[in-house]
Amino acid sequence: MNHQRIVELTLLLLAAFITCATVALAAVGEEVEITWSVVPYLVALLILWTIAHITLRLRAPTANGVLFPIAALLQGLGFALMVRIDPSLASRQATWSLIGIAGFIAVTIGIRNPHQLSKIRAPLGIAGVLLVFLPLISQSAPSGSEISLALHLGQLHIVPGELGKLFLIIFFASWLANYRTRNTEEYLGQAQHVEGDRSRLIPLLGGWLITSAILIFQYDAGSAIVTFVVFMSMWWVAAGRPLDLAVSFGAIAATIVLAAGTLPEFQTRLSAWIDPWSNAQLGDAITRSSFALAGGGLTGTGPGAGNADWVPGVTDHFAFVPIGEELGFIGATSVLSAYLLLTGVGLRIATRARREFDSVLAIGVTVFLGVQAWASIATTLRLLPPSAVSLPFISINGFALLTWNLALGLLLRISEIGPEAADQTAVLPKIKLKSRSQS
Amino acid sequence: MTRRILHIGVALLLIYVLLFVQLELIQVVRADTLRGHVQNTREITMVFDAPRGSITTADGETIAETVSVSGARPRLRQYPYGSLYSHIVGFISAEHGGSGLEQTHNDFLAGNDLGVRIQDKRDLFVDRARTGQLELLVRHDVQLVARAALGRYQGAAVVIDPSSGAVLAMWSSPHFDPNYLSSHDLVAVTNDLAALNFDEERPLTNRADSYLSEAGAIFTVVTAASAIEAGLTDLVVLQKNTILAETPIEPIKNKRNVTCGGDLTSLLLTNCRTGWATIGVDLGTSELSHRSKIFGLTESVSINTASHLKGLLTPHKVDLSAPHVAAGIGVQLSPLHAAHLFATIANNGIRIRPRVVHQIQGHDGSVIREFAPELLGQPITSDTALRLQTMLAANVERGTAQALALDDVEVAGMLESGFNDHPHAWAIAFAPVTQPELAIAVLLEGDELSDPQVTETVVARITRSIIEAVLRLPSPNLEGTQ
Repeated sequence: MNHQRIVELTLLLLAAFITCATVALAAVGEEVEITWSVVPYLVALLILWTIAHITLRLRAPTANGVLFPIAALLQGLGFALMVRIDPSLASRQATWSLIGIAGFIAVTIGIRNPHQLSKIRAPLGIAGVLLVFLPLISQSAPSGSEISLALHLGQLHIVPGELGKLFLIIFFASWLANYRTRNTEEYLGQAQHVEGDRSRLIPLLGGWLITSAILIFQYDAGSAIVTFVVFMSMWWVAAGRPLDLAVSFGAIAATIVLAAGTLPEFQTRLSAWIDPWSNAQLGDAITRSSFALAGGGLTGTGPGAGNADWVPGVTDHFAFVPIGEELGFIGATSVLSAYLLLTGVGLRIATRARREFDSVLAIGVTVFLGVQAWASIATTLRLLPPSAVSLPFISINGFALLTWNLALGLLLRISEIGPEAADQTAVLPKIKLKSRSQS
Repeated sequence: MTRRILHIGVALLLIYVLLFVQLELIQVVRADTLRGHVQNTREITMVFDAPRGSITTADGETIAETVSVSGARPRLRQYPYGSLYSHIVGFISAEHGGSGLEQTHNDFLAGNDLGVRIQDKRDLFVDRARTGQLELLVRHDVQLVARAALGRYQGAAVVIDPSSGAVLAMWSSPHFDPNYLSSHDLVAVTNDLAALNFDEERPLTNRADSYLSEAGAIFTVVTAASAIEAGLTDLVVLQKNTILAETPIEPIKNKRNVTCGGDLTSLLLTNCRTGWATIGVDLGTSELSHRSKIFGLTESVSINTASHLKGLLTPHKVDLSAPHVAAGIGVQLSPLHAAHLFATIANNGIRIRPRVVHQIQGHDGSVIREFAPELLGQPITSDTALRLQTMLAANVERGTAQALALDDVEVAGMLESGFNDHPHAWAIAFAPVTQPELAIAVLLEGDELSDPQVTETVVARITRSIIEAVLRLPSPNLEGTQ
């Protein structure tokens, strides 16, 4: 019996217990009606977790045992708190959970070696850029006040940006791994002159362009920050130099200042952020989320006893609000800690990865999940201007849920120490960048 | 590479610490401030569907009640008299919170207050929906009279019982019907509320307590009080028609450029701006602002309802020019404040907090909480108050407020209109002079076209008819209803 899988099973049982208890507590709450029709969806969710666990046992027995239970717990909490707000979401969320877990299983079975992904990096990169900017193309002018990053295909409401970002991360990881291979001497400390490969600036330029485009055309500070931080982290780990880092931060700061000075829509957002009390239209969500969180206080109102549907966008971008309101400061910090733990485990996996590509990809995926959660929560806490960032695994946002499950699958794949672990040939010695002063 | 990954980890940890700190600030440190924030409609929205106590007037009319209905939502809040109490009671909405007593006394109405929730020992163990019923001091008959008297004019009328501080009526026009805002049709509610918000005539605003208008001669009562308290009773001011202020502000001129002067009574009777300004120089700014403060004109005083006594004696103007303030130029008051000022004079100089809510009753009619008359101090001695009463009575008898005179009872009061930049008119009065039963303030907004003289006649007629009706109406036997 494998150690990791035992940990996973134990934690999964705990997550299942917490989820069921939260749903039950919310149902007992006198003023809320949770109809019995929710129960089948809950059972379906638990069955999906079991299937995922069995798959991991069979196909990736040595993969990390903590990651999946954390994600499951977050998803279960989201299900328990969101479904109460809008019971019609239950079936949709269950369907997307099914698709998400299917994607997760497909990744764990299909991609035995993440390095395979490098071969299709060009199509992935193009698809990524397309997906990120698809909503922009389909509706050339986003309406002034409304944050809309969604694509409407008939009844289907898809937010493809998340999947696009994941594709871009894979592409970028592959590029960076290649870059390191090309400059092996420098990273081994054998180079005579560390003048540097000028091509290292290409991804910086690309990242800056994509971030600026998100900022300028979608006015979405949160989404831009997630993209920028993910790119910079991967680049810093693989090829970074302090001076380049400083220049990049300067460039993005300049873009923000420029956008704030010229774009009226961006200015509206900024003013709604600085003074939400007097801007009823955009500030409403922020002030209400503050009020709801304050209403929760230290211990919260208890599951089912909150009034979170009073905050606009609560099932998606403001998904952290019902958690803080109903579970209180204690529950909210637990959820925050869960994300922090997820990030920590992800980074640890990155340090132990077998290949350069795996390591950089693990960084990208981990930072993606961690910073995405950070940006979403920071928006509800008024640390960021109003933006549309979904909370990983908790938000009811179908397509994004699939993306997060795919990302999780990749991370688990990377964490596995399989029989191929003996193959150390492709691994570069992990030596830090030789300092410039020595050259 | 591992070191670089460590950098990322530390950076992420740091930005997460920000979240923890901000979360602590919102949920723990500043939680109470946020819960009590004026824009916070969370509590009241939460109780929209819950049982809710009714609100009745002093003479027993139910003016807000929650009824059971069939449909998606089990209960509906209704206001049988429509807009008659719109500014006192306010409204409660599923999405937009509420206003008026519905908001300020939500804890009692919804049963959140501990005294309301636990009405007898069994309530400690059985979770029953307990609500509190509000009984007001507002009298339905007086409120109807005030509405009828003001008619189609824009403005506000406040009637206060000087001896108890009870607000007998508070009417503000234009008004709104809270039934539409408390409806279950949330889209219609949102549209209605938006329309009311954007209406230039501001029907949502309670003009009685939050509309500040230049007080003019009304404020000279305070100047007179200061002068009497300072022993300047025998002062005789020289006849003048203009006073050049020392500061670079416009000079003070009398209305219609008349020349006036004399002792305090004749200054009041002739509405002599130059005379008051001269006294103002003698008194100085500190005395005037001190007197306004102890009369309660400079600060907001809670009156146990959504309404606050908002007085604004624009401080910089007090500093700038004592003569201007003494003549009431640039000094702004709300009708509620003006009524409170005259009620204090009528009550022999004793300030009593204006009250709207009388008591909160439990399910069996027992009194859970009573708001008793509350003394707020004595800004002037009773001798001074008596002198002022005599002066104000003389003003109605033979001075500028003769339009307020009634046949049967002696009325004391003031009229003021003809302001430079605003066409409004004031009428403040109390009656009967010997044993005041009511103090009244009426503000008429008027418009640019109307003649100030006509506006003043109209406001006097409105005030007269309210005083007449209130004094002739039988006083409700409050003890009998309990």
